Amino acid sequence: MTRPISKTVNVPVADGDGERYTLKMGPQHPATHGVLRVDLELDGETIIKCSPQVGYLHRGFDKIAENRTYAQSLILTDRLDYIAAMANNVGYCVAVEKLLGISVPLRAKYIRTIVCEMSRIASHLLWLATHALDIGAMTVFLYCFREREVMLDLFEELCGARLTFSYPRIGGVRQDVTRSFIDVLQQFVAEFPVHIGEYETLIDTNRIWLKRTVGIGVLSAAEALELGLTGACLRGSGVDYDIRKHRPYDAYDLVDFEVPLSNDGDIYARYRCRMEELHQSARIIQQCIDQLPPGPIISEDAPDLVMPLQGQRKVEAGSSTYGTGLIRLLEEHGQYPVGDIYVSTEVPKGELGFYFISDGSGRPYRMHVRSPSFIHIGALPALAEGSMIADLIANIGTLDVVLGECDR
Amino acid sequence: MQIQYKPKRNLLQTILHSEIMQGMAFTLKQLFAKPITRQYPQEKPEIKLGFRGQHALVRDQETGQSKCVACMRCVTVCPSRCIHIRFHEDEDKGSRVVDSYDIEALRCVYCGFCEEVCPVNALILTEIFEYAAYDRESIFFDQERLLANWDAFAAMKGVAINSYINPFWRPRGIPESVLTAAKRLDVPEEWTIEGQVVGNLVKQDQ
Amino acid sequence: MHVLILLIEILILFAIIMLHVAYATYFERKIIGHMQVRMGPMRVGWHGLLQPIADGIKSFFKEDIVPEQADVVTFRAAPIICLTAMLTSLAVLPFAKGWVLADINIGLLFIFAMSSLASYGVILAGWASNSKYTFLGGLRSMAQVISYEVAMGLSLVGVMMLSGTLNLTKIVEAQGGSFAGMYVFPQIIAFFVFFISMLAETNRVPFDLPEAETELVSGYCTEYSGMRYAIFFMAEYIGMMVMSSIGTICFLGGWNGPFEVAVFPPFWFVVKVYLFMFVFIWIRATLPRYRYDQLMSIGWKVLIPLALGNIVLTGFIKAFTG
Repeated sequence: MTRPISKTVNVPVADGDGERYTLKMGPQHPATHGVLRVDLELDGETIIKCSPQVGYLHRGFDKIAENRTYAQSLILTDRLDYIAAMANNVGYCVAVEKLLGISVPLRAKYIRTIVCEMSRIASHLLWLATHALDIGAMTVFLYCFREREVMLDLFEELCGARLTFSYPRIGGVRQDVTRSFIDVLQQFVAEFPVHIGEYETLIDTNRIWLKRTVGIGVLSAAEALELGLTGACLRGSGVDYDIRKHRPYDAYDLVDFEVPLSNDGDIYARYRCRMEELHQSARIIQQCIDQLPPGPIISEDAPDLVMPLQGQRKVEAGSSTYGTGLIRLLEEHGQYPVGDIYVSTEVPKGELGFYFISDGSGRPYRMHVRSPSFIHIGALPALAEGSMIADLIANIGTLDVVLGECDR
Repeated sequence: MQIQYKPKRNLLQTILHSEIMQGMAFTLKQLFAKPITRQYPQEKPEIKLGFRGQHALVRDQETGQSKCVACMRCVTVCPSRCIHIRFHEDEDKGSRVVDSYDIEALRCVYCGFCEEVCPVNALILTEIFEYAAYDRESIFFDQERLLANWDAFAAMKGVAINSYINPFWRPRGIPESVLTAAKRLDVPEEWTIEGQVVGNLVKQDQ
Repeated sequence: MHVLILLIEILILFAIIMLHVAYATYFERKIIGHMQVRMGPMRVGWHGLLQPIADGIKSFFKEDIVPEQADVVTFRAAPIICLTAMLTSLAVLPFAKGWVLADINIGLLFIFAMSSLASYGVILAGWASNSKYTFLGGLRSMAQVISYEVAMGLSLVGVMMLSGTLNLTKIVEAQGGSFAGMYVFPQIIAFFVFFISMLAETNRVPFDLPEAETELVSGYCTEYSGMRYAIFFMAEYIGMMVMSSIGTICFLGGWNGPFEVAVFPPFWFVVKVYLFMFVFIWIRATLPRYRYDQLMSIGWKVLIPLALGNIVLTGFIKAFTG
């Protein structure tokens, strides 16, 4: 087994004496995945300098969270990476649980692992769809959406929403799974490898696809580490780092799966890694369905949604418009452990970390989100400089960025 | 695990464009497949039980009024602070009387926390999702409108409304002991902790 | 009197072609839709049959925006140049025996000239819009048309050698009425080169670089709106039809078919043209897009040598078999 075609880069090198001009690509450009703007300095079609400009979707999540209880902030994480909101929800809950020292029941861990992998499938399908569309293969787009729709329907059945799930709770999950959910999921997982094969028929060995991806956007392992890449972008460069494997949370240490790696570090390698991850996700879901244990779905010491649990201040009759109990909760210290904590989970895009400083009140004194998309966008100049405009589009696609998460 | 690549194509395959032909054959096959499009306004999507849609206050069949007891739990839990309740205390009975119950639906994020924490199942996010309007006033729900929303939902459900249980009133897989009396509804066995779905391997062990 | 008849014929041809263009867009949207497990247009009329007419009316009544910094005269003229050049090439196409407006002896050359002229419209549009995306689109189009024109011209030299004429009617007649007489068999290499160049000439996937929407937004017509945009669109589809007709005439035996359709002599011609159109659409639904420099290297390093080799081969065969 060798590489499909030789790894030569056919990019003409700019001679330097050409007339340069700038092109502000985005934020309304069709291929910049949301509201990314890339300032390009071009010589003909060759990119001399590339600087991504972010912040068009900034909503100040870290600051909003300072004025919400831990349970309330869960809804903010839906709006980070809205392609795979479930993985963010779980990541947030894992972090808060670690802060509060809550242990999650085994059944809830399995259910969370299932929904995390479902959202990985949903996210990777959307990535493949848009990546292929960027490179021009427009049909893969709709085949991927066909399968993503199944995932969204299942999420709707589980938690009543298709995009902003708010499904996990600190200490467990909100709703138990149903028989019909498991049955549909089981059938999907069984059929899914066939569908992956369909996408691969169209692009995997296609000579145009290979020409557009092999040897383009190459990052060595050292460069990828230096740029702080995580997820499939790092594994495509051959660094074996997957939080699911190395710092397992939920039920990932109880299931068997492989971490796909490639040493080539180009767009094709990252594409292959993500395609293999789809297979592995289906495998993890299958194992979780088989092993799903009975038991409670939420920990007994999980905090109630309406906090504090005891001694709620008496609400004054009359002109009440906003919960005074909440004000007490937000102000009063000594309800939670004091200190700071950083907990990261493996979301489809890479490593999603939550950093909390707790002053003992019911809300975080400071919350910081380490979002993979923000850091991945920083790698764009390293990938794109010296290549052509068409490669820039392919490179944005391969980084798999979501601007909701990048700008927060 | 190192990724395995497919073998490099040989000269014959290059000349015959075999991989492109495979792709073409696949798209041609799909030409005759059944489309998955749903013709939306004519064909409505099948809304699953527990969908978080338009807000409503449940109309109590006995009193004809809202079940709300003004405990303020929904107001407290609401992350977007879109629920506003005013009440006064009835001196004789010692209970609270709701003066106004307003939901700013344009502010709502549809997380469903309110219906989950309501101790008397007074609040619900219905399965109605088509209620866009041209002005803000018509998506500001006061108590009458919320009750009317429930009537509309009940009319949509028909007879089934009598046995309707929202999964957020009585969350699946939660033991009855932690729920308030009003939330201990009669639910399908699947929703209880005894009847929960378990994996094949676990079943064999038992 | 003769002029009047000719004018009426031109008008009829124009109307029919415009109708075909409108329904070619419908055809494309439906086929791509079904290949993508969608339905395509469904709303206007039965299964969306009136959609092209609705689109036409809509684009006609849309505001015609001219960018402030644009070169107004050129900006306005560009789509018209495109459309006129494309429509003019229709004059020499023989749809059936005797069904041709101008049966001139240099028909093939005339069509080449006209399709090159149409690319002026594209280049001028890109330049006059005074926008970087359109400018890049125009540049790409220029380079692409120049390189692929060469390959296409050379690929048809084989056909000219076999038939010994540039007159399109005579090329069809030289192939004879039989299936085996079609030039696609002796000229298989030329057909391959012609087909690829045809995709590139008409800016179709996988060579749709001048209007690659994920790179250049909409390429040379980014700044156009309303009717002017629609004119570019029509020109592109007429271009597709003209190229398909050339393919039909030079390689697939023109209007000849397994049996005569006396009621409508161009029947087989239309069928073959639509076969080409279907393949155009089918390819669009399947393949990704080449990069600009890759497109150039295919044109110059693969197609032109192949076409030249084919000329030599055809020459040898013709010399030895007489």
